[in-house]
Amino acid sequence: MSLGGFDVQVLRENGFATEEMTLNMGPQHPSTHGVLRFVVRADGEVMTEAVPDVGYLHRSIEKIAEKVGYHGFMPYTDRVDYVAAMPCNQGWAMVCEKLAGIEVPRRAEYCRVIACEFNRISSHLIAVGTMGMDIGAFTPFTHALREREHINDLLEELCGARLTFNYMRIGGVAWDLPPDFAEKGLAYIDRFEPLIDEYNALISFNKIYKERLINVAVITGEEAINYNLVGPNLRGSGVDFDVRRDIPYSIYPELQFDVPVGHGEEGTLGDCFDRYMVRIREIQESCKIIRQCLQQIPEGSVLAKIPRKFKPPVGDAYVRIESARGDMGWYCVSDGSEYPYRVKVRTGSFTATSIIEQVSRGLMIADLITVVASFDLVAPEIDR
Amino acid sequence: MKDLVLSLIAEGGALAGVPFSLAAPLVMVAFGALVVFGFVLPIAGITSWLERRVWARIQSRIGPNRVGPQGFLQWLADGLKNLLKEDIIPSAADKWLFSLAPYLVVVGFIATFAAVPFTSSLIIADLNIGILYITAVTGIVVVGVLMAGWSSNNKWSLLGGIRSAAQIVSYEIPAGLSVFPIVLLTGTLSMQGIIRAQGWAPWDWFFFYNPFTFAAFFVFFVAALAEGNRTPFDIPEAESELVAGFCTEYSGMRYLLFFLEEWGNLYVIGAIVTTLFLGGWQVPAFTDNPMLLAVAQFGTFFLKAYFFVFVAMWVRATLPRVRVDQLMTVCWKYMVPIAIVNMLGTAAWMLFVPETLGRLVQFGMTGLGAVVVVVFFRRVRFHLRRANLKPSDYYYSPII
Amino acid sequence: MAGYFSNIQETVTSIFEGMSITFSHFVRRPYTVQYPDRIPIPIQDTLPFRYRGILEVDLEICTGCLACERACPIDCIVIEAKKDKQTKAMMLNRFDIDIAKCMYCGLCSEPCPTGSIHHTSQFEGADYSLESMLRRFVKTPVAAYKPSKGPETDPEIVPFLDRGLRYLDDFAKPGGSSEPGEADAS
Repeated sequence: MSLGGFDVQVLRENGFATEEMTLNMGPQHPSTHGVLRFVVRADGEVMTEAVPDVGYLHRSIEKIAEKVGYHGFMPYTDRVDYVAAMPCNQGWAMVCEKLAGIEVPRRAEYCRVIACEFNRISSHLIAVGTMGMDIGAFTPFTHALREREHINDLLEELCGARLTFNYMRIGGVAWDLPPDFAEKGLAYIDRFEPLIDEYNALISFNKIYKERLINVAVITGEEAINYNLVGPNLRGSGVDFDVRRDIPYSIYPELQFDVPVGHGEEGTLGDCFDRYMVRIREIQESCKIIRQCLQQIPEGSVLAKIPRKFKPPVGDAYVRIESARGDMGWYCVSDGSEYPYRVKVRTGSFTATSIIEQVSRGLMIADLITVVASFDLVAPEIDR
Repeated sequence: MKDLVLSLIAEGGALAGVPFSLAAPLVMVAFGALVVFGFVLPIAGITSWLERRVWARIQSRIGPNRVGPQGFLQWLADGLKNLLKEDIIPSAADKWLFSLAPYLVVVGFIATFAAVPFTSSLIIADLNIGILYITAVTGIVVVGVLMAGWSSNNKWSLLGGIRSAAQIVSYEIPAGLSVFPIVLLTGTLSMQGIIRAQGWAPWDWFFFYNPFTFAAFFVFFVAALAEGNRTPFDIPEAESELVAGFCTEYSGMRYLLFFLEEWGNLYVIGAIVTTLFLGGWQVPAFTDNPMLLAVAQFGTFFLKAYFFVFVAMWVRATLPRVRVDQLMTVCWKYMVPIAIVNMLGTAAWMLFVPETLGRLVQFGMTGLGAVVVVVFFRRVRFHLRRANLKPSDYYYSPII
Repeated sequence: MAGYFSNIQETVTSIFEGMSITFSHFVRRPYTVQYPDRIPIPIQDTLPFRYRGILEVDLEICTGCLACERACPIDCIVIEAKKDKQTKAMMLNRFDIDIAKCMYCGLCSEPCPTGSIHHTSQFEGADYSLESMLRRFVKTPVAAYKPSKGPETDPEIVPFLDRGLRYLDDFAKPGGSSEPGEADAS
């Protein structure tokens, strides 16, 4: 591996042997995005290996589901991925609805999609913002968080909470849109869209920033599929797959949106910059989706009639949704009682963690931070 | 300084009757102490407060606004807090080196003030090797940083210390090479001598002297930022990579001393840049009153120097951080060659360009500078318009 | 060699652009909300109606139906309600909410038939002991509220009931029925 003309292997063979050191990055480290630990073996600044050590944020959420019942588990799904809690809500609601065969009112589907897409924007804003911060630019982070605050305000009006929404219910949503939500939402989207360009000009197309991202941690499409990368990480490697479009659910088939795919616009296909730009483009696509939804939303009820004692028939169900971190799978086995027999959540961050060991070989320590940020790892989602 | 001492020991002066050999060191020490405690430490503190406020405004925040009017006394509160905190020395650390390191860092930075001018007569020591002296004593800082990194017995600190050593040593070269064109032009290394060779008007500054000194200014400023561990070259403390770099294990006052150096050093950078390229304390001779002139000179110099402190804050709020290998690439593949070209170019300029043409180029360069400023503000207006702001989103006052 | 100069040019222009953007923020209004002692109105008044703060119970309109206790996923609500043998009235002997456990999910206030248990806009609950986090709403046993057949007439209860029903009104109704506060005695 050659870095800046500095060939580690050659130096070692010629007798300038250097001792490897083991660095312990995390669980408490400023940029591991939660409590995530890496055991780094490094030769000076160049890593020979970075092994992720997960499990510091394990809260056995799947086991809790077996104790609190179908309705009561909904607030816990917020905690699966607290950066993008709406898609988790939706995943749990959808798997229960699939188990019991419940039809969701159309207005509720629209509410769900609006909430999810707003949440996707806010999650991607965190992703691109922390990317800037991990590379040393603090201002883009605060600008991204400022916009996220606006979205949080909107979602707070919608469901009363800013982070752990608990907005959706089995069979619909808990609250209808507030009376002036559509105007406020549209006004916000109008205000927000030009700011994406400003953000790009400030940081995305900055030469130093690009140099830090381009050609770092290149993952080919085949590798990405083999390692089961999902969502923006997968699309960043040029694989055109989006659950919203390819395994349609909810009202996504009726909406017009593009699926941004990385195409190696600056350097190699599948590098950190591609994954980063896919997220920026997805923010723009989400704006489009929200605009359509807010304009088309039909009247009607937002909650189907569901018994308080929810007992789905014996069986199992698996649903896939496109969370902010990609394909999220919810699996639930019912034994016909009030409590689920088994729940399993399949999350994107966990599989993305597995590829870090492979892509980090030969990178520098500073690059590990870039790689972690480019995968948009969220520690609670890894461990659940 | 000598004039001042002579006037003091003259008949009727405050030190009348004291021999010159005793009076000169006394006055210099007294003035040095005054500069350190009355100027350097407050300026470092105030810079820390101002940096936080400037950052905050750029980031749509407010910044410290509680202690004193507009939070102005925040730096005193922070200093007191850090003084009162426990000074932890890790048990595995090398105690002597660990305790010594921050002092070396601070000494290296305060010693530079010996040759930093304030007005045409106020300077602790107008050394005839002034600029060389400053370049030399800032080298002590790297010893302190390396010591801190090594003695902490922490791998993050070690990485930070080694990064810092590599960085400061490398960037001394383009910084030194960028001073050469000025030294060639003036034929002196004395800070006051360099300022005297310039005029008060922008076209008399070396900044606009010719394209080579223009480029040398940028090379010098960037290299100085790198030597001062400022973004985009703050990799030694790189908080997102190395936790806190070489000061990871420090706490309390020792920790503060590193930051005292960082913020105080900003003023030194500004002062050197002002001296070398921006005409220093030069003001038009508008009055005969020496006191009034001195105040005008001090104000001019301070404002120019502090403008670059502001620019450093602003750059820090804008740019991300480079990687270690890119840092070296920037230094050796870009800045050193450019600096050498500047040096040779200026030498050739002195040989071949006639005075009248040189004069025209000076005016042309000044005009170019004005055009850049105009383009800049047009871009600012463009961004404000694109952001689609409501009238209530504008807020011009610095007071919140 | 062309790459060399284009690198320099790109660096200079992108930094110029970035610095003009950061400079433009000097004339933009900061987004930060100041601490509560620096703003004209209490921060609680700026929160939206649906804000989920610390739970509160209006015992005047609590029917003692235990719907909230059953809905709570973490069992932070403990209610003791008993039928009094003599008066035949439902008596509330205990209504405790452990704020230390509560996760503010709002599942308890949803099934409440009268809107008695509801989220307030208060969020400052820090205290020095876990004991004080246990909110005991019933000091002495009180009779539970018994919904009257017609509209409520007791002037002491009407304001509470109005507020409770307005709170309930915001929740989505299954199947879209718009009758607020229909007490489905469960």
